[in-house]
Amino acid sequence: MGAQKRMTPGVFVVLAILGIAFVALPLAGLIQRTPWSRAADVLTSESSLTALRLSIVVATSAAVLSLVLGFPLAWGLSRSSFPGRTVVRGLVILPLVMPPVVGGVALLSVFGRRGFLGAALYDAFGVQLTFTTPAAVLAAAFVSLPLAVLALEAGLRSLDPRLEDAAATLGGSRWYVLRRVTLPLLTPQIAAGLVLCWARALGEFGATITFAGNLQGRTQTLPLAVFERLQTDPDGAIALSLLLVAVSLAVIVGLRGRFLAAR
Amino acid sequence: MSLQIDVEARRGDFSVTAAFEAASSETVALLGPNGAGKSTLIATLAGIDPPASGRIELDGQILDDVPAGRHLPPERRPVGVVFQDRLLFPHLSAIDNVSFPLRARGVGRRRARSSAADLLARLGLAERAQARPAELSGGEAQRVALARALIYEPRLLLLDEPLTSLDVRARTQVRTIVRRELNAFAGVRLLVTHDPMEAMSLADRMVLVEDGRVTQIGTPAEVRAAPRTPYVAELVGVNLFTGRLEPLEAGAGRIVTPEGDVVVAWPAEMEGAFDPVMGLLRPADVSLHLRPPEGASARNVLEGIVSSISMEGERARVRLDTSPPLVAEVTLGSVERLGIREGTRLWASFKAVEVRVQVI
Amino acid sequence: MRRALAGLACLALFVPACGGSVSERSEITVLAAASLTAAFTKIGVNFERATPDVTVRFSFGPSDGLATQILEGAPADVFAPASPKYMDQVRSDGPGVTEQVDFARNTLAVIVPSGNPAHIESVDDLARPGVKLVLAAVGVPAGDYAREILGNAGIQKEALANVVSNEEDVKGVVQKVLLGEADAGIVYRTDITPDISAKVREIAIPDGVNVIATYPIAVIDGSSHTPAATAFIRYVAGPGQTTLRSFGFLPPS
Repeated sequence: MGAQKRMTPGVFVVLAILGIAFVALPLAGLIQRTPWSRAADVLTSESSLTALRLSIVVATSAAVLSLVLGFPLAWGLSRSSFPGRTVVRGLVILPLVMPPVVGGVALLSVFGRRGFLGAALYDAFGVQLTFTTPAAVLAAAFVSLPLAVLALEAGLRSLDPRLEDAAATLGGSRWYVLRRVTLPLLTPQIAAGLVLCWARALGEFGATITFAGNLQGRTQTLPLAVFERLQTDPDGAIALSLLLVAVSLAVIVGLRGRFLAAR
Repeated sequence: MSLQIDVEARRGDFSVTAAFEAASSETVALLGPNGAGKSTLIATLAGIDPPASGRIELDGQILDDVPAGRHLPPERRPVGVVFQDRLLFPHLSAIDNVSFPLRARGVGRRRARSSAADLLARLGLAERAQARPAELSGGEAQRVALARALIYEPRLLLLDEPLTSLDVRARTQVRTIVRRELNAFAGVRLLVTHDPMEAMSLADRMVLVEDGRVTQIGTPAEVRAAPRTPYVAELVGVNLFTGRLEPLEAGAGRIVTPEGDVVVAWPAEMEGAFDPVMGLLRPADVSLHLRPPEGASARNVLEGIVSSISMEGERARVRLDTSPPLVAEVTLGSVERLGIREGTRLWASFKAVEVRVQVI
Repeated sequence: MRRALAGLACLALFVPACGGSVSERSEITVLAAASLTAAFTKIGVNFERATPDVTVRFSFGPSDGLATQILEGAPADVFAPASPKYMDQVRSDGPGVTEQVDFARNTLAVIVPSGNPAHIESVDDLARPGVKLVLAAVGVPAGDYAREILGNAGIQKEALANVVSNEEDVKGVVQKVLLGEADAGIVYRTDITPDISAKVREIAIPDGVNVIATYPIAVIDGSSHTPAATAFIRYVAGPGQTTLRSFGFLPPS
């Protein structure tokens, strides 16, 4: 261990410090500009608390949805070789590189009242997805799904497939092996994926405001509340932003010890 | 109870063909050099890799029948496998590893753990039940893997190189336990190894596999006495000369090998020169001399330097760089008496009649 | 010697940028309400043609957000909000303004998507439960005016219960109706431009209930292009009126 420390090049140390500064300084700027005397009022106002509650619900639902949809995808990409695998992988990464607003427009074109699936839904059941909380969840899940797939695929590739063969010879059916061998061994990657998805979903703005709209209590998540407040009360918006940061940090720090540490 | 296997198994570009039978009254060892196809056969018998063609039947139950399109998946086969790398589940303790086959079949947690605990105790691992695989020594892990394969009483037990990865001390200890369990096991036992010692000490019958083919089947004694290929001969420690047989004089002939010539008694059934033939000479039939022997009846006297000496119990195997090279087996006492060491110049002699000639 | 001359020549390039008269090249930044997007863009083109030394750069958005930007120190030369309220804010809480003049007025209308899925025929229908109504957010002039209109019509409570989204500016409202997601939206009459008039239907708001929005425009104090900015304002109040009229804006008085 000591030898490793000794061999860290000086350049690395400098760059690492720059890297940390890059992230820490804007945060410091936020903290410095926060109007601490008013902050309590802003943070405990009804609109802020509603936005916070909604954000947590939406982010959690979106993260779970991303993992549920992402696991079979990651499985297929890492285990089977079907024609068009490269295309599928590219498609899965697409929401990551797409501007979120474009993602919102894309979701509208499918699930909007005139979208090719949404129209059928509306005509048959009178159900419209836009302007609802599920729409906010869909928007957030859309942008975080790639992260789930990436984390899980990496995990599946790192598993020794012979362990699953061994489990089969010991009498484990496919589902039993998945439940008792594969998934437990993937716990660190699943946790990492959950955290990544949750953080991304929490901060999602463009797709949400385009596809789900902006209504307090139903679709106005914290980022949307911050944006709205920014139009008239920048300092208050900063206080609200800090809340977003604090919540994210709390979750990441809280989970980190439990699951992300190596076995 | 018996196993009948007649398959061609493929893994990538490599293919191995094997046909043999094994009864439950014996332990069969699949012996062969690395890359011969032994692990592929294990995977096929376990059901992990379906064979390309052929049939496997165990106690009348069809495990694989390629022409009929039948393949029983591994989880439904009454087969227990101890893998070369053990493949213990890293996230489960020893006792949970051993209970796995029972839990997978719906046995309740308490009952499964209790059976597992009993079995672990029988293998001398009672205090290690709660340990994780990473905390176990090589020998302990091997026994846990064995327990895991045995616990639900399969009808076919497959062991892939069970002792190879262990150090000498663990190997001796584990070998005893493995032999005891194998003898107590009621079904067919198949052991795969590249180590002839392991095969001969654990198995009743040996199936030699080389380059994807079965080259010989027999008891260790039969194989030792009449090895059929150079590899097998090398394996069992016999001197082997391969070359062209020529007549030399009345009643005697000569095997011409690239490394040197050996005088042999002319085999009765043969007429004229023959190519190729194999001459087998037991190391115990080679005598060693510090000085060239005079007036000996032995027709073969070769001079060379000792290249290595290895001890096996009370005997020593001395390798000489003669032409052709020879292995002699003498007592430890002789080694000391003659002061034989690496680099010692010796004369080795053996009689022409002691070389057994057979057509390859 | 050569290098020094080259350096001096480079320096000389920067001189014209430091303020000065209209006859030198200048670029002015105009912050204008979203509802002015089409009209001002066209006015900008015409103005640049008329005054070749000046380039106009527009930033369109909600008037409340634009006012905040100015208060935060954004470098802008001209401000044209959809309500005098935000001009007052810049004057009293911000850098201050000069050359202020009212240059247009506007009224509002209800728009519904083609096909009128919720069968809206009058303003009162917006109070019907289940109607999906989209307005601009509170604080955005279009949003405030809309709520005033609903109050004038006596249906504010019921209609506000039907609001499904508060858009960041009035163009967002137009979008949601255009896409067919909203059943109705309240926008400026001028937002019903020729290229969208085929896809939406206008439901007129009775004069007694409607509000008249007055648009002021002014030069922001501290601008480094005051002459060019003033020229732009004069243009808007003068030749630009024809363009404004063509887009449906009412004259300033």
